[in-house]
Amino acid sequence: MLRTLGILALICAAAFGLHLVLDSIDAYWARIANLCGISILLAVSLNVINGLCGQFSLGHAGFMAIGAYVSAFFTTTLRYFDDAAGQYVTVLPLLDQSWGFVPALLLGGFAAAAAGLVIGIPTLRLRGDYLAIATLGFGEIVTIMITNFSKVGGANGLSGIPAYSNGFWIFTFAGICVLFTLHLQRSTFGRALIAIRENELAAEVMGIRTARIKIAAFVYGAFFAGIAGGLLGHFLQTISPATFGFMKSIEVIVMLVLGGLGSLTGAIIGAVTLTVLPELLRDVETSTGMPGIRMVVYSLVLILLMLFRPQGIFGQRELSLRLLRSLLPGRRKEGAPSAPAAFTAQQSVEAKTFFARAPQTLPPQNEGKK
Amino acid sequence: MRNTLLLAAIIATVTITAAACKSDIGPGFTNDKVTLGLFVSTSGDIATFGQDTKNGAELAVEEINKAGGISKHLIDLRFQDCASEPAQGGNAATKLITQDGVLIGMGEVASGISLAAAPIFQKYGVPMISPSSTNPTVTQQGDMIFRICYLDDFQGAACALFANQNLNCKTAAILMNQDDAYSTGLGKFFRFKFEKLGGKIVAEETFKKGASDFNTQLTNIKGKNPDVIFAPVYYQDIPLIAKQARGQGIDKPLLGGDGWESDDLLPKADGKLDNCYFANHYATADDAPIVANFVKAYNAKYGSNPTSLAALGYDVVYVAKKAIESAGGINEKLTRKAVADALRGLKDFEGVTGTFSIDKNRDARKPIQMLKIKDGKVLPDRRIRPEEVE
Repeated sequence: MLRTLGILALICAAAFGLHLVLDSIDAYWARIANLCGISILLAVSLNVINGLCGQFSLGHAGFMAIGAYVSAFFTTTLRYFDDAAGQYVTVLPLLDQSWGFVPALLLGGFAAAAAGLVIGIPTLRLRGDYLAIATLGFGEIVTIMITNFSKVGGANGLSGIPAYSNGFWIFTFAGICVLFTLHLQRSTFGRALIAIRENELAAEVMGIRTARIKIAAFVYGAFFAGIAGGLLGHFLQTISPATFGFMKSIEVIVMLVLGGLGSLTGAIIGAVTLTVLPELLRDVETSTGMPGIRMVVYSLVLILLMLFRPQGIFGQRELSLRLLRSLLPGRRKEGAPSAPAAFTAQQSVEAKTFFARAPQTLPPQNEGKK
Repeated sequence: MRNTLLLAAIIATVTITAAACKSDIGPGFTNDKVTLGLFVSTSGDIATFGQDTKNGAELAVEEINKAGGISKHLIDLRFQDCASEPAQGGNAATKLITQDGVLIGMGEVASGISLAAAPIFQKYGVPMISPSSTNPTVTQQGDMIFRICYLDDFQGAACALFANQNLNCKTAAILMNQDDAYSTGLGKFFRFKFEKLGGKIVAEETFKKGASDFNTQLTNIKGKNPDVIFAPVYYQDIPLIAKQARGQGIDKPLLGGDGWESDDLLPKADGKLDNCYFANHYATADDAPIVANFVKAYNAKYGSNPTSLAALGYDVVYVAKKAIESAGGINEKLTRKAVADALRGLKDFEGVTGTFSIDKNRDARKPIQMLKIKDGKVLPDRRIRPEEVE
């Protein structure tokens, strides 16, 4: 417990340090870095559902929308536009501080998690394509409901949201999400998720309550998607139903597939790559003078990556000291993982050394090799 | 323990560096050049809108530079793509401000993207002029944010006035797309003004986005026999509505807003839109010299007739030019604040889309052009000034 609190304090401190760095560098790159943080939250949370548990969900943008609207509604309804002063005025002066933001954000996260529970119970009985379609439907329902709900601006969306999101909050939540997910992967719960992904029937025979575990994974992913939505809303200062369309869900899935479905480091690398790449390509567009070439190159990069590395950058492996060492020439061991579908005990040990943790915290190694 | 100490050291170093350097965005001009920024979407869903705006703006820049630039400074137009996404629009705006150091930013078409860019321009104190975002909240984001198009409340009211005074209608029906804020908004403003003028709305029918059969709604409308049908819809829908209405024997005129504008409108309607009317920002067939010259130059450069978005993109560059000149031209005393003050006091600017001034809400106060469709041609009809509907 004390140890966890210590790590949380470390994350906050690191996020604060990063926030100061971002404050001092060029605002454009600082902005991209912040967007990367939000993408990491999205990709890592979806990785628990799609990558670890193997349930193909297309509704991530729907959870984001719920989180964004609930938290933005909370922070904007407590302000009004003063015509005389020509600016927004806060009803409660205390909420002018971004501290009012954290409860709003958590409320958004819990609302999204609740939606995840409600939608998860009936749909997680479905498998494969059927689940994908059902979650796709859920995402559409959310945006259509928001469009027809005039209290939150309807199709025009909400604007004038206070700019509470900054490097500190974004990276604190991204750090917490990564840490929780790392712990989750190593826990009995995480092993159960992987068992369900590998063979649901066998997992059930082994005594795993598959329905419960799947719903829990869904709720977990939805919670952090809601947080990411809230952070994005308070970062862009405007949200509309169109921001959380079907394409947003696809974007997050592309991040996962690019990085390696099922790998935490892969999700992070995929999120950063897909956020930074279109921005790096802006200069290509300016120098060639061809409008639209940016998106062509971007798509081409994705196609080439999938052609030459279909399992994603990381496959299902994690970045770890041991992995790096095994890549060094002359030290390559015979056990270089070849079957991409197997998450072996060896790899889970590699995942541990990522944060150089003591080996005695290992759970019993009873999952066996496939 | 060792880790904590290390972290503390890192944080301390970073804090000191952070305090030491802070980026400066520069004055926005050099000895012989002035940097203007344009951000619209040339990829994604609304790429055609962005491309038209960009064409118009580039034509204006070319003309101004050929004539010697703005007070002897050539315009260096920096362009960034918003990819039809608010997040990327914000990135584009930030890049224009902090890396290109623009004097004025011009953009976006979509209100959702303008709303994401506006707080950034406001934060850095850089004037932003939107050529064509109609959401009222865009210019409420701060005193550096301007727009040069009319708003939908004025457009709806002008259509109502036109129906009442020019078409002599006592009763009207409204047919709108329930999923579209533009459509329902115009419908609401039309109803308000039309009833105020003593008219009666006898039917209000809606359809869902993507619908292709409007016969049920039209049958209901036909039963009420209105003098005019106000259909504030987009150009994809109106030819189908017109064909089905004429097929049912409804011979009353259809009236619409600027969403009707498209090169596809008349070919798709097969003459069924004859004697119908719609509101727009300008008329390509207008014989005023400024419009005729623009249409000719645009056709010569791009080989097609300019849309309203192209005309607004053209005007926005000239508005920027006029604001810089009224602020005293380009010299070392010119600041972005002075340009914004000049924009606030902009009066009687003569553009392709009419003569307009900037009002106290930093919105354009300008006339609307009513157009009549007659014998396969779109002809200019009445111009309605803002004071006429107030």
